[in-house]
Amino acid sequence: MDNTWLTTNTFHHSDFRDLDHLVKIKRRRNISISLCFPTLNEEKTIAKEIIIMKSELMTRYPLLDEIVVIDSGSVDRTVEIARNYGADVYLAADILPRLEPFKGKGENLWKALYITKGDIIVYLDADIKNIHHRFAYGLIGPLLIHDHIKYSKAFYERPIAGGERKFRPSGGGRVTELVVRPLFSLFFPDLTQIIQPISGEYAGYREIFEKISFPIGYGIETSMIFDIYEKWGLNTIAQVDLDRRVHRNQSTKALGRMAFVILKTFCSRMESCGIIDMHNPTFKEMIQYNILSNVYQPHITQIDGHERPPMIEIPEYRNKLKKRWLANN
Amino acid sequence: MEDYLEKVPGFVERIKAIQEVILTNIVLIGQIPAPTYKERKRAEFFLDRLSEFQVDECSSDEYHNPIGIIRGTDNDTPPIFVVAHLDTFFKEDIAYHYTLKKNYLSGPGLLDNSVGVGVLVSLPEIFRALDLRFKSDIVLAGVVQSIGRGNLRGMRSLLKTWPGPIRGGVCIEGFELGRLNYFSDGMIRCEIDCVVGLYDDTKEKRRANAILILNEVINQTLQLSLPQRPRTKIVIGKISGGFNHGKIAPRAKLGFEVRSDSDDMLKSVFGEIKDIVDGIDHEHDVSLKLKTVSNLRATRLQFNHPLVKSAAGVIKNLGIKPVGQPTESELSIFLSHGIPAVTLGVSRGKYMLMENATMEIEPMFKGIAQIIGVIMAIDSGVCDG
Repeated sequence: MDNTWLTTNTFHHSDFRDLDHLVKIKRRRNISISLCFPTLNEEKTIAKEIIIMKSELMTRYPLLDEIVVIDSGSVDRTVEIARNYGADVYLAADILPRLEPFKGKGENLWKALYITKGDIIVYLDADIKNIHHRFAYGLIGPLLIHDHIKYSKAFYERPIAGGERKFRPSGGGRVTELVVRPLFSLFFPDLTQIIQPISGEYAGYREIFEKISFPIGYGIETSMIFDIYEKWGLNTIAQVDLDRRVHRNQSTKALGRMAFVILKTFCSRMESCGIIDMHNPTFKEMIQYNILSNVYQPHITQIDGHERPPMIEIPEYRNKLKKRWLANN
Repeated sequence: MEDYLEKVPGFVERIKAIQEVILTNIVLIGQIPAPTYKERKRAEFFLDRLSEFQVDECSSDEYHNPIGIIRGTDNDTPPIFVVAHLDTFFKEDIAYHYTLKKNYLSGPGLLDNSVGVGVLVSLPEIFRALDLRFKSDIVLAGVVQSIGRGNLRGMRSLLKTWPGPIRGGVCIEGFELGRLNYFSDGMIRCEIDCVVGLYDDTKEKRRANAILILNEVINQTLQLSLPQRPRTKIVIGKISGGFNHGKIAPRAKLGFEVRSDSDDMLKSVFGEIKDIVDGIDHEHDVSLKLKTVSNLRATRLQFNHPLVKSAAGVIKNLGIKPVGQPTESELSIFLSHGIPAVTLGVSRGKYMLMENATMEIEPMFKGIAQIIGVIMAIDSGVCDG
């Protein structure tokens, strides 16, 4: 395996802390940038994420042109709070209503392509407890400074906010180490250089995102890397060390369901590019077991694995692009 | 009516217009742990922030207090100091994650004193938004080692080493809007450490109990007669000791303060407590040590001092009732140096000393407006008489 990519395309957020410089490049290149938060019941963290990004990267340094929240139908006060602090908030189900709605992070990210106006789109999870504007400018930096980079992905030290509120040593990334990295090692060793392939924070050019399909759920991160690698090559991808990210811990069972979706996505990608031949379709149910009164009972989660097609194939999107182009020219 | 009194109410909405900058500063600063003696990272961030806000001079003094100076228009006028203590009561190993909701912000150390520090560091941007310039230099100082055993060392050092005269001072505390502190009680903060010997199971039944010994100290202390004039009181604030429910406690500690508006009375009461401790130490087979960890002299401005009257006017003009009460804080160091100063609170809230300390956001904008008003009052000369 050629591991030069690891050294040439790996950055640290501090490489891009000169925000004046980034703003100058952005203006010179006449590029607009959108920040998108996909949300579902994030009332504890969303406001903090919005005000810090707005203060630092809009009011003080005009790096971002818009902050958009795409919500999956929160039952807490996420939507109200996000609006109160000045984000443009949309319900995923209201976007492209002609299409059957799905629920999932990938669905929100895909629909954000239709809603946002930026040439670059930054996607950040809305549950980051130690949010800092480096999460955005660290990902934007490589895209603005290096012409060949079209997609940048975060990696971090990953402490988890534990039940006793004390930090535990890095315990995140179990799905990465037990599922994704073995798969990459088996089939695409070059991709093992991506330290955290399923991290939830990434940024890229619209011209890339609009040409790839989006699984609606957890498979989005894996498929995105895989598709960009297949279509444009590893050199268009960068990874950025964002230091520490504190997030919610997830149960092993929840991670199991995540792993199921990632495996399913991976299998479909392997088949579509002819690496494996699935003689039978995979099943759509993740079966886990609970013990109830000393009896094992199956807990079945239906996971259909829907995928949205590349946004550029959606007529409404093409019309919107056309109108925007006409307005600008 | 004075110019600043008229202007202050109009500042509130203009300050609110940059709320994201102010809240961001509070959150980013508040999420950096800063227990007393471990404020370095918070101090560095404070300086970085002032530097980003293009404050004219940013540096640390020899005691590592971070300081920013906004140059005034008149080189001959002494500076106005605005200070907030950087340290908090909480240790480093808790989760310092703030939660921002529609109407309030919460997190450990928020009200004491991350809000104060966040507002202090936002002042350059607020001055810019309000298009304000001052004749005096404005010295923005985050002071280290203030609370508890810190004994206001950062603040003491800041004023002791400052080379020239100081026109006046404003101390910012997160809690509570409406407070107008202009006098400081004398205070002696003490700890009593009781040790009854090394742990030895075979002698346990015969051994004295450190907690009960301290209980005896408390009982005898509470029997002391304290005068109503000079106003004097003893606050038993902290106690710890023992291993578990079923073992006689071999060690215990008591923390308390004696406060009075008379330094002589303070010394007298402290002497009586020392006699109590010496007596119990003598009569029991224990080691009982009384240690002073902090002290302050009683100092004050009179209510009719122009600074106090002006500050009260500013607060009233914002529709808030000013509340006078003594404080044991940076204010006393200003006053003991003969520098007129007041302490102001930024907002309202609850659970001040708990991890979920919570601040109401809306009142904060009036709280900031009053701080600006008082700085303007000092700049107009109310401390110059």
